Amino acid sequence: MLHRDLIVTTKTGLVLRYNNGANKVRAIPLRYLSSRPLPGFVPSEFAQFHPTKVKLRTMNTQTTQTSAPGSYLLGEGDYDEMLDSQGQARPHWSVLMQEMEKLGSAEVELRRNEALKLLHENGVTYNVYGDKGSSNRPWQLDPIPMMISGEEWSDIEAGLLQRAELMNMILADLYGPRELTKKNLLPHELIYNHGGFLRACDQVKLSGHHQLLLYAADLARGPDQKMWVVSNRTQAPSGAGYALENRVAVSRVMPNIFRHSKTRRLANFFKSMHAGLIEIAPPHAESPRIVLLTPGPFNETYFEHAYLAAFLGYPLVQGDDLTVRDGYVWLKSLTGLKRVDVIIRRVDDTYCDPLELLADSRLGVAGLLEVARRGNVAIANPLGSGVLENPGIQPFLPAIAKHFLGETLKLQSAATWWCGQPKERDHVLANLDKLVIKPIYRAHGTTSILGHLLSREQLAELRERIRANPAFYVGQEHVSFSTAPCVTPQGFEPRKVMLRCFAAAGRNGYEIMPGGLSSSAPEKGDMLISGREGSISKDTWVMAAGPEIKYETARNIGAIEGGGNEHALPSRAADNIYWVGRYAERAEGSIRLLRATVKKLYTNPNNDDPDYQESLHALLRGVTNLTGTRPGFLDDDDAALLQSPESELISVALDEQRSGSIANLLRNVVRTGYSVRDLWSSDIWRVMDDMDDHLAQPQQLGTNPLWQLQELLDQQITTLSAFSGLSMENMTRGEAWLFLDIGRRLERAMLTISLLRSIMSVYHRDGVETQLIESLLDISDNTICYRQHYRSYFEISAFLELLLLDYNNPRSLAFQIDRLTEHVAKLPNAGKGQRLSAEQRLMLEASSKLDLVDLTDLLVISKDGIRENLDQHLSRLNYLLNALSEAITAKFFRHDSGPKPL
Amino acid sequence: MICNYPIKILKANPVRYRVTHTTSYEYTGKVGRTYNEARLLPRECQHQNLISAHLDITPKETDLRVREDFFGNKIAYFAITEPHSTFTITAISEVEVHGNLPQLDLSRSVAWEEVKNILENDKRAEVLDARQYTLDSPYIKTSPELAAYAQPSFLPGRPLFEAANDLMQRIFHDFTFDPEFTTLSTPVQTVLEHKRGVCQDFAHIAIACIRSYGLAARYVSGYIETLPPPGQEKLVGSDASHAWFSVYLPDVGWMDFDPTNNQIPGDQHIIVAWGRGYGDVTPLKGVVFGGQEHELKVSVDVARLGP
Repeated sequence: MLHRDLIVTTKTGLVLRYNNGANKVRAIPLRYLSSRPLPGFVPSEFAQFHPTKVKLRTMNTQTTQTSAPGSYLLGEGDYDEMLDSQGQARPHWSVLMQEMEKLGSAEVELRRNEALKLLHENGVTYNVYGDKGSSNRPWQLDPIPMMISGEEWSDIEAGLLQRAELMNMILADLYGPRELTKKNLLPHELIYNHGGFLRACDQVKLSGHHQLLLYAADLARGPDQKMWVVSNRTQAPSGAGYALENRVAVSRVMPNIFRHSKTRRLANFFKSMHAGLIEIAPPHAESPRIVLLTPGPFNETYFEHAYLAAFLGYPLVQGDDLTVRDGYVWLKSLTGLKRVDVIIRRVDDTYCDPLELLADSRLGVAGLLEVARRGNVAIANPLGSGVLENPGIQPFLPAIAKHFLGETLKLQSAATWWCGQPKERDHVLANLDKLVIKPIYRAHGTTSILGHLLSREQLAELRERIRANPAFYVGQEHVSFSTAPCVTPQGFEPRKVMLRCFAAAGRNGYEIMPGGLSSSAPEKGDMLISGREGSISKDTWVMAAGPEIKYETARNIGAIEGGGNEHALPSRAADNIYWVGRYAERAEGSIRLLRATVKKLYTNPNNDDPDYQESLHALLRGVTNLTGTRPGFLDDDDAALLQSPESELISVALDEQRSGSIANLLRNVVRTGYSVRDLWSSDIWRVMDDMDDHLAQPQQLGTNPLWQLQELLDQQITTLSAFSGLSMENMTRGEAWLFLDIGRRLERAMLTISLLRSIMSVYHRDGVETQLIESLLDISDNTICYRQHYRSYFEISAFLELLLLDYNNPRSLAFQIDRLTEHVAKLPNAGKGQRLSAEQRLMLEASSKLDLVDLTDLLVISKDGIRENLDQHLSRLNYLLNALSEAITAKFFRHDSGPKPL
Repeated sequence: MICNYPIKILKANPVRYRVTHTTSYEYTGKVGRTYNEARLLPRECQHQNLISAHLDITPKETDLRVREDFFGNKIAYFAITEPHSTFTITAISEVEVHGNLPQLDLSRSVAWEEVKNILENDKRAEVLDARQYTLDSPYIKTSPELAAYAQPSFLPGRPLFEAANDLMQRIFHDFTFDPEFTTLSTPVQTVLEHKRGVCQDFAHIAIACIRSYGLAARYVSGYIETLPPPGQEKLVGSDASHAWFSVYLPDVGWMDFDPTNNQIPGDQHIIVAWGRGYGDVTPLKGVVFGGQEHELKVSVDVARLGP
C-alpha cells in the first residue's frame, strides 16, 4: 500500500501534512490550499483530509511516488506527445524532459501548486453556472506545457490560416449572396434550419475584407498522427485570455526552463488583433472607441473578459452600459454619452438585441443590430456568425475550399456525417456506438454524446431521437486524442490532450496565436469532449526556428495603447465602485463596533457594576442601530437578549443571509467588486479574494465562541485595512478612485454620526459615559491619540472635539467632510468659478456647520436627559450627507428601469 | 406534368381600399424611450398594387427607416425618445387588389407527391426559395399528430391545390373560432387537441399540416374586408387584422387559402406581409424602458374606395 504525504504550505507559512489517499488530493478546494485557516478552525470539508479521519485509498500501481519518466506508463495504442513508440523523447520535448527530470516530480508538483496559487491569487476563475455555493471555480493549470515543434507548427499555422479565410468567406456568403446554398455546396436545410442562421442579420456587412474577426479551432491528434480540427468556434471564442494568463503563470514558476526554451511569444497576436479591430471601425471614427461587451460577472468566462479588457485597455461594458441614439451606439459614461465604434462581444449573438433577436434578453442593447446594419458600429464577431459553429458544415468544407480558394484543405477535419442526408444518416445509425453524436446547434441542454459509452437502451433511444429529427444531428468520428504528460501528486501521468488555437484578423490578413490553450483530461484514461468542463489547462509552447529571448510577463507584454478610450468610465462601473467603497467602510465600521462590544463583554466582565451594565447595553443597542439588524437589541420586550447577547452577536457577525450582518456586507464588497473586476490591480484583487475565501469557509465557533469571534474580527479588520491601504496607495487618482473614496468617506461620516447619535445623544451618568467614551475611542482607533493630546481622564468635550471637529484626525467627521469637499470639486459637473454644483453646495454647508460648532452649546442637556443640540446638529449633517449621496446617484449613475418587450 | 395555365385572370376593374390600422398603448407610468419595428406597410405583389402608405406616430418618432426584410416585407424601424404615457401608431395605406378568378379549377394542379419531389430536387432559384417554407419554424413544428390530422386531405395522387383546399375546408368545419382560448404562444399541438383558436392558429395548423408532407407553405398576414349584416351600417374600426396561408406550386407560384372564412382569397383580402409563421411578420415589436403596466387598443378599418 503506497501513499505519500501531501504537504500544503499556507500563506501564513503553516505547513499542513495530510496523509491522504493519493489521488483525492485534487478534491481539496483550492481556496484551502492558499488561505489562512483560522486557529482552531477545521473547515468541515477539510476534515476528511485530516490525518486521523482519512480513509486511505489503495494505490496499486508503481506510478505512485516515482519520478518521471521511468514510471510514465503509456496507454495501449495511444500516441504520446512526449515519447515515441520506442519510449524515446521526441526532439522538441527533450530539453523540457531533461529539465523536468532534474527537478524531479516532487519539485514539479510543488511548482504546480505554486502556479495554481498564483492563478488563484490573480483571481483566475472559470464560473460554473448554477453552482450556487461558490460560483467561481479556480482555474486548473498543469505546469508542463504542451510542446509543438516549429516544423509541425508551420503546418498547423498554414492550415489554420486557410481555415480562417475559408470561414470568413462562408460567413460573407451566407449573409450575402448565398451562392453556397444555391449551388448546393451547402445543403439548404443545413443552413436554413440552423438556429445560428439569423435572418435579421441578412446583408449586414462589415466594411473591408474581413467579416470574421476572431476564430478558434479545437485541434486533436487524429489517427494519422497529424492535428485534426474537431470543432470551430466563431461566435465569441473564449480562451485567448486564459492562454495568456497560463503563460504568465508557467513562465513564472519555471523561469529557467522557459527562458532557455525557444518558445514563441504571444504578445504580437494581441497587437495584431487590436489593429484588426481598428481596421473594421466605421469610416467616420478617427480614433475609434473599442469596448468589450460581457454578459456580466455570472458568465462562466467573466474573468477572461475582465482580464482582456484590462490588458487591451478597452472599457468592459454590459448591455445596459450602452444605448442606441440617432443611429449610433453610445457608452453611458460618467462624463456623458461617448460614441462606441467597435464592440468586441462575448455575448452570444441572439442575446445582443432584444428588439430584433431574443425579445426577453437583458444582456443586449435594443436597436444594436440596426446600427450595425447601417454600418455605424462594427461588431466582432458580427451577429449571426454562430451559424459557422454548425458541425454539419465540416463534411462540405473540402468542396467549398475548392470552390472559393481552388485549394485542398490543409488541416483535416474529424470525419463528420450530417444526418440530414439519407446515406449519411444510415451510416451514423449503423455505427452509433462508435461515433460522437453532436447536435448541429448548441442550445441549452444539448451536448455531444459519446456513442461507445451508451447502454443498449440509451443507443436505441438516441437512434429514435435522430430518426425523428435527422437534420439536427451529425455523427463524428471519435478521434482518440494523443496523450501528454501531466503532473500529479504521484508523478507524471499521460493524459488525453486537445488544443484550442486562435486566429484574429489583422490589418493584412489573419494572424495565428503561436501557442494556444491546451487542455487535458481530469483523470488518466478519461476522454475529452469539451475543452473546458472539468479539464485541466496547459500552456502551449510553440518552438521558434531562431532564439526568442524576451522574457514574457504580463508587465512586459505591455498593455496595448487603446485609442480614444480615455475618460470613459461606464457609469455602471462608477456606481459599483462607489458601493464597494461604502460596503467596505460599512463592514469595517460594523466590525470595529462589534469587536469593541465583544471585548467589553469578554474581557473583565463586571456584572455587578451598574455602570458596566448600562454602558454595555448602550453598545449593544448601538450594534443593532449601526448594522440595521433590527429588532436585535432594540427590542424592548426582550430583556433576556441583553442579558445573554452572545448568539445575537454571533449572528450579526456570521449570518450571511441576514442583511446588514458583517458576512453579508463582506459578501457585498466581493460581489460588487467582482462586477468591476477590470478596475482592480492584482494586489487589490488578491485581498478581495481573501475576503471571498473567508466567506466560503464554514464558520464554526468552538467552545469559546466569543474569543474566536474576536480573532476572526481582527483578521477581517486586517484584510479590510489591506484593501483600503492598497486602494489609497496603488490606485491612480482617476474617476474610479474618486468614486471609491467618495463612497468610503460618505459611509464613514454617516457611521460616525449614527454611532454618536445612538450612544451620546442620551446623557448617561458620568461613570457610564466614561466607559462609553473608552469604547468609542477604541472603535475609532483613537485611544492613543486621545491620551497623547488630552489626558488620561475621559471627558466628553475633548472626546467630541477629537471625533467631530479635528481636521487632522482621519477618523473624525471633519476629516471626512474635508475629503468630500475636495472630491466633489473634482466631479465631472463641478462648478467653475463662482457657480457651485449642488454637491459642492451641500458640502459647503456641512463644513460650515462643523466650523461653527460651539462645543459647550452642543453638550447642553435638556430636562429629559437628552443632548438635543448635539442630536439636531448631527441629524442635519446626516441629512446633508444623504442628500449628497442622492445627488450623486441621480446625476452619475444609471437609473433606467430595464427594457421590456412592447 | 406541370400545368401551364394562368392561375389568375386579372379583373378589368381592381378593387381599391384604404386601410387604417391604429395601435395604441396606454401606460400607467411614464415611458422614457422605446425602440420599435413595425411591419404595417403592405408589400407589393402579384395581386396587389400599392398606391400610397405612411405611418403616423405619436409622440413624434426619431430615426425612422423603412427597409425590406429577409422575406421582402416592408419593415419600419423607429425610436421614440420623448417621455410619454400614450403611444399611438397608425398605418394608412391605399391599395388596389386584383382578385383570383372565381372559375379556378383546382383539380388541374400537379399531384402533391410530385410537388414534394420537385421541392427536394429542383435547383432553380424559385424552387430553392420556396424550400425554406418546408422546414419547421418558430411557432410551427410538424408532428405525426398533425400529419395524421391532414392525412384525409392528402390522399395519394391528389392535386396539390385540391388537397390544400380540402384541408382548408376541414379546418373551417372542425375548429371553433374562439378568441379567448389561445394566446400568441399557444403551440399548434394544443390548438389541434382542443380545435379552438383564431385565424393565426388556423393558419399555423394548416401550414404545419402541409409541411408534414414535405410541402412548402407560408403564413400571410393582412386584412379582410368585412360587410355589415344586411340593413346595418358598417362601423369604422370594426375590422381586424387577419391571417391565412399560402401553398407553393412549382411553375405556378403561391396560392392563398383562408381557413377562417373557408374561402380562397379574392378581391377582399389585402396582403401586408408573409413569412414562415407569425414570428416573421409580427405587426409591431418594441422594447420599452419604463411604463409599468399598459393597456393595448387596436382598431382596423378597411374602407372600399371603388369601384
